[in-house]
Amino acid sequence: MWRNRGNVFDLEMDPVRKLGLSFAQGPQALVMKDRTRVYFSTRRPDSNGKPISFIKFAEFSPDFTELLNVSQAEVVSNGGLGAFDEHGIFPLNVIPVEDEIRGYSSGWSRRISVDVTMGIGILSSRDDGLSFQRIGSGPAISASPDEPFLIGDPFVLLQDGKFHLWYIYGTDWTRDSGGTPERTYRIGHRESDNGMNWEDKGKSHDLIAPLSPHEAQAMPTVLVSDGKGYLVFCYRETFDFRNGGARSYRLGIAASDDLVSWTRLPQFAEWQGDGWDSQMMCYPNIHVRGDTVFLLYNGNDFGKHGFGLAEIPLGDFVRHYSSGGSPHRRATSNANSIFKTKQF
Amino acid sequence: MSGKWEKLGLLLEDRDFTSTVSWADSFTQAPNAIVLEDRVRIYFTSRHRHDPDGNFVSRGAYVDFASLTKGDIMGFSEEPILELGSLGNFDEFGTYPISVAQSSNGKYVAYYGGWTRCESVPFDVSIGKATSEDGKIFVKSHRGPVLSSTPNEPFVITSPKIRVLSGKWVLSYTAGERWLLSDGRAEIIYKLRIAFSDNGDDWTRLDRQIVEDKIGPDEAQASPDIIFRNGKYHMFFCYRASTDFRRNPERSYRIGYAYSENLIDWIRDDEKYALERSSQGWDSEMVAYPNVFCYEGALFMLYLGNEVGKCGFGLARLDGDLY
Repeated sequence: MWRNRGNVFDLEMDPVRKLGLSFAQGPQALVMKDRTRVYFSTRRPDSNGKPISFIKFAEFSPDFTELLNVSQAEVVSNGGLGAFDEHGIFPLNVIPVEDEIRGYSSGWSRRISVDVTMGIGILSSRDDGLSFQRIGSGPAISASPDEPFLIGDPFVLLQDGKFHLWYIYGTDWTRDSGGTPERTYRIGHRESDNGMNWEDKGKSHDLIAPLSPHEAQAMPTVLVSDGKGYLVFCYRETFDFRNGGARSYRLGIAASDDLVSWTRLPQFAEWQGDGWDSQMMCYPNIHVRGDTVFLLYNGNDFGKHGFGLAEIPLGDFVRHYSSGGSPHRRATSNANSIFKTKQF
Repeated sequence: MSGKWEKLGLLLEDRDFTSTVSWADSFTQAPNAIVLEDRVRIYFTSRHRHDPDGNFVSRGAYVDFASLTKGDIMGFSEEPILELGSLGNFDEFGTYPISVAQSSNGKYVAYYGGWTRCESVPFDVSIGKATSEDGKIFVKSHRGPVLSSTPNEPFVITSPKIRVLSGKWVLSYTAGERWLLSDGRAEIIYKLRIAFSDNGDDWTRLDRQIVEDKIGPDEAQASPDIIFRNGKYHMFFCYRASTDFRRNPERSYRIGYAYSENLIDWIRDDEKYALERSSQGWDSEMVAYPNVFCYEGALFMLYLGNEVGKCGFGLARLDGDLY
């Protein structure tokens, strides 16, 4: 079963604390030979005091028992004036493609009547992911006839020679009872032969059947094992979702035989939160190393306190979710007792 | 061979329209004509004060002329011809310009620039599509845009001109290249672009600037209006400097011209069919946003003058032909 490893990148723990990071959101793993590098979005204020998200990474030993390093420099420069990613990148999905590391960014740009819109950009790294350069200053995927705004949260998978992109698109801006616009989004899917030129339109709407009309779904991440796909995501209600409870982010899962049509499973193994993730679990990212499935995710306050980890043997994962899931069990956290860090 | 544009003066004065309909406060911009059996319908946009900030919003309209004579007006659109987008949509804050073509089944198809407002720069624009049975009221085909930003067309996708040429849908437009900060004001530099489609929905972009710059890399280009004549495609457009262009005649909009055999390779030759600004009057500071069409065997150009259509739009007739 799932083993909850807790808040493995706790911004308050030594020696991370001295970096003074604010937020570590949207963790995205790059599996390397001797380590796992986790890209995340952190924040700094711009000249108006509003937060800008930018990308750093933390490197862990393959079993996540050691934190090896945290990047000093930003891996992507700022977006230019008026660009789709001028006001930040969150998240940056990474995937090795031949001799480069490809990056897929969710770029943020502020609006007047609503907070923001997003678009998906493509970047490339020729130095093993230490720095990324944009391919064009505009987004590769932006608003389209039936996906009118808020195109973000890319996750790219290369499967049988085809690139798959799962992402989110906005469906509605709706004012809450106080008049503040809140957004609803759903998960979409497109394919590509080269990872650069994508289908013009999303494959289907409501790829993952929502539980309520005001359900917002975010941050899809996909694992394929024995030809079967498993899509983990987070979901919340459109209104009143920031402070925990049933309206805040939880993790969900769906299964597919063809990576196109998905059956939502009733339950993802929700371990009991133990403080840092007691109010919400969000922004999942899955990778497999050896026979183990690792799930990175954010907890309370959308990642303000860092990111955490859970793991499960791949065999257990497949048995559990290919049979439709089962009631979850409580797992205990022993992360802090075995976790150690190098000085960096 | 060449030809010379003979100016016929203002065809529609701003106040002829804004005093007639209740919603329009000022401006008649971006004229686009279609020639119908008994009339010439000219689509254009006008502005009304929309929100408490006093910001203008552009809306679509048309005027029907029985002949191309000032005052020979059969009627106006009474209401805006196209709704604004709802909260957060690409066309929440304006629809400008609007270009209309008739498809083979007689339907009217409009492509328009949809405006949204941004924080660091004043606006972004994407191109939307709408259709109409009678050419009077248009219904949007989709909530989202049919042409929006791409890696090499990063923002401000606007100034659409829709044509059906050799059985294909052809959309010429402009795409922002970069924003330039000048005295704290962000000014957009945009260039002419073109895209092709079999069905009007799925577009293949040429993905590059189609007409070379004349006044340097900061040249802004708009309103690429194409007409097929005597075996060639002829394009009239407007261009200007990127800063200090609003009232300075030396830096403001002028009319440019290019021709092509294949819609892809264009040769710029502004002097061939020049339409210069006047020494005084409504078009003394700029000439802009051309639309060229054939009516009763002659070639006409609609265009804007000072302050991009504040006074109305004017008409010119070509003495000669396009070769």
